[in-house]
Amino acid sequence: MNENLLHLTDVSKSFGEVNAIEHVSLDIKDRSVIGLVGGNGAGKTTLLRMMAGIYKPTTGRVYLKDGQNVDQMRSLLGVVPESTGLYSKLTAWENIRFHSRIHGIEDSVAWSRTIRFAELLDMQDSLHRYTEGFSRGMKQKTALLRALAHGPSILLLDEPTAGLDVTSARIVRKLVQRLKEEGGTVIYSTHHLAEAEQVCDRIIIVHNGTIRADGKPEELLQLTNTHSLEEAYVSLTSEVARPRQEDSIKTSKFALLWRRLFTRRHTYEVNEDE
Amino acid sequence: MSRIRFTQMRVVAKKEIIEFIRDWRTIVALILVPLLLFPLLFIAFPLVMQSEAQELQELDVDVLVQSDYIDSQILFGLNESNMSITIESLPSGLESLSQPLNDSSLLRSYQYDAILRLQQTNDTWIYSVLYLSTSEQSTEARNRVLEVLNNWETNETIQRIEAGGLDADSTLNPLRWDGTIADADVATKGEQAGLLLSLFIPFVLALWTASAAVQPAIDMTVGERERGTLEALLSLPLSRSELLMGKWLAVVTITGVGVALQVAGLLFGIAFLAEDLVNVPSISIGSVLLLTLAVGLYGTMIVALYLSLAMRSKSVKEAGTVLTPITLAMIVPILLTQFINLDDVESFWFAIPFVNVLLALRELLLDRIILEHVLIWISVSVFVSALTIRYAAKQFSREDIVTSRS
Repeated sequence: MNENLLHLTDVSKSFGEVNAIEHVSLDIKDRSVIGLVGGNGAGKTTLLRMMAGIYKPTTGRVYLKDGQNVDQMRSLLGVVPESTGLYSKLTAWENIRFHSRIHGIEDSVAWSRTIRFAELLDMQDSLHRYTEGFSRGMKQKTALLRALAHGPSILLLDEPTAGLDVTSARIVRKLVQRLKEEGGTVIYSTHHLAEAEQVCDRIIIVHNGTIRADGKPEELLQLTNTHSLEEAYVSLTSEVARPRQEDSIKTSKFALLWRRLFTRRHTYEVNEDE
Repeated sequence: MSRIRFTQMRVVAKKEIIEFIRDWRTIVALILVPLLLFPLLFIAFPLVMQSEAQELQELDVDVLVQSDYIDSQILFGLNESNMSITIESLPSGLESLSQPLNDSSLLRSYQYDAILRLQQTNDTWIYSVLYLSTSEQSTEARNRVLEVLNNWETNETIQRIEAGGLDADSTLNPLRWDGTIADADVATKGEQAGLLLSLFIPFVLALWTASAAVQPAIDMTVGERERGTLEALLSLPLSRSELLMGKWLAVVTITGVGVALQVAGLLFGIAFLAEDLVNVPSISIGSVLLLTLAVGLYGTMIVALYLSLAMRSKSVKEAGTVLTPITLAMIVPILLTQFINLDDVESFWFAIPFVNVLLALRELLLDRIILEHVLIWISVSVFVSALTIRYAAKQFSREDIVTSRS
C-alpha cells in the first residue's frame, strides 16, 4: 500500500490580479512517478514551486505526511528547475557538493551517491569539469545528480527533457524509471503527452491554473471517452490558454507613462498592389 | 528575520567567494589594483612632478617688454634669465598698465608668452605683466619676469635704505622668528601625518567600500536570478535570512579584503616611498579598534543597502543604473566631512548616518577618542545597520525574487 507523502489542500496562488493556480487539491503517494502535463502558462511551474516551498499558497495548504509545512522539510525534496541553476565557474561536483552541504550531508556520502548515479548517466568523467562548457544535456544530468545527492524522498523535475537531444532525454527517462523501481517518488512536469505516458504512472492535466484530470493514463481515456491521450488532452483543455503569468509582470504607472512618452505608434499605408 | 544558522551562512558565503575569485578580472580589480594603486602613485607622482618642473625650466619663453625707459639693472636681469626679450615703446591711450587693449591678441596667438609693461614715475616704478592664465608657458613666463622684478626691487630697497644711513637688515626685518618653525610645533611627526591622512584616508575608505561592493552585490542577487541559479538555491533547506547573511558575508569579505589591501598599499607607500613627504600616523590600539568598527559598520550599511536594492531590480542593467548614482552620491558626505572643523565639531554631526562614520574616521586618525562622539556614532550606525539589514531581509523574503518581477 502506497503511503501519502505530500498533500495540497484547496491550494490557490495569485500574483496580483492573476490567479496562477485555483483550488488545487492533490495527494502525492510514495513510490510513484506523477506527470504534471499542460501547455505554457498552465501553472505547472507555479505548482512545483509551491511543492518546493519557493512560493507560499495564497489560500490552502501544502504539507508533508506528518503535517509539517514543506518549507520546513526541504531536505526531503530534490528539485531540478527548468533552468538547471548550475554555477558556471564551479565544477559539476562542486555544484553538487554545495547543495549537499546546505542539506547537511557529509561530502563522502554525497560523493558515493553521486558516483552511483553518475555511472547511470555516463557522467563520471565530467564531474570535475566546469559546467560553463556543458551542453544542455550535461547540465540537466548534473542538475539531476545534484538533486539526488542528499537522498531526497521526493524529486521535483520541471521540464527535465526540454531542449535535450533524443539520447539525453532517453537517459533522463531511464533514470526516472530506475528511481521508481528503487521506490522513489518523482513529480515530473512536461508538455509532452507521449513522454508522460511513457514515464508516469499517474498523469495530472493542468490547464489555466486548474486541474482538469488526474489519474492513470487508461483512466483519462475512460473519463474523456477517447482513444488516445492526445484526444483526451484536447477535450479536457478546449478553451483558449491564458498567457504565461510571467508575461503579466507588474510595472508601475509612472514607468508605463514614461515608456509611452518615448513610444511612437507607426502605421503605414497599405499598398493595394502588393 | 528568522533564525540564522552560521553553518548555512558560511557555506553560501564560501561558494560565493570561490565563484567570485575564479574570475581573474576580479582578482585584478579587487586585489592587484587596490594593493598597487598607492605605491604606484607614490612612485609615479614625484617622477611626473619632477619631470614637469624640469620641462618648465627648460621652456623657451618670449617676453615683450613695453617701456619708454628701462632701468639697466632690470634689463640686465631680464637678459640674464632664460627668456627671449623684445623691447618696444609703451602703447598710447592706456588708462592703466594692466589694460590689455589690442595686446591680448599677441598672447592669444602665442606670439609672446608674456608682456611686461614698465613705467618710471618720479622715484617709483609702476608695472604690470600681461599673460594668459590658461597657458602654462605664459604663466611660467610671468613667473620668470616677476622673479627678475622682485630681485631688482630687493636690491633697490637695500640700496635706498643704506643710502639713507640705515641698516638694511634690521630695517627690513625688525621682528624675526628664532629657530625653525617646525621645531616649535609640539605635534609629533606621526600626529602631523594623522592630520594629513585624516583628510585622505576616510575619502579612500568610503569611496572604495562603496564602489567595490557594487559589482559583487549585483552579481550575487539579480545576477543570480538572471542566470537562473536562484530558483535551485531557494528550494534548499536555507532560510531567506541565511541566504541574505551568506551573501552579505561574501560581499563584506570581498570588499573588506579590497579595502584592507588598499590601506596596506597606502601605508607601504607612505613608509617606504614617500617618507620625505609624510610619516606613518601614530595612533593608539583603541583608535585602531574603533577605526575597524567604524569601517565595519559603514560596510555593513552599504552592502545591505546594495544587496536589497539589487535584489529589488528587474535586471542587472537596472541594478547598475540604480547603484551607480548612489555610489557617486556617496561623494557628497565624503566631501562634506572634509570641511568640518574637528576642534569645535557639534555632536549632532555624529548622529547623521554615513557622515558620522566618516567624521569618526577623521577623529580616530588624529587619535582623538571622545566618548560622547563615539557613543553617538556607534549607536546611530548600529541602528541604521539593523534597519538596512532588515530592509534587505524584507527584499530577500519577497516571493517574486525568483522571477524577474519587481
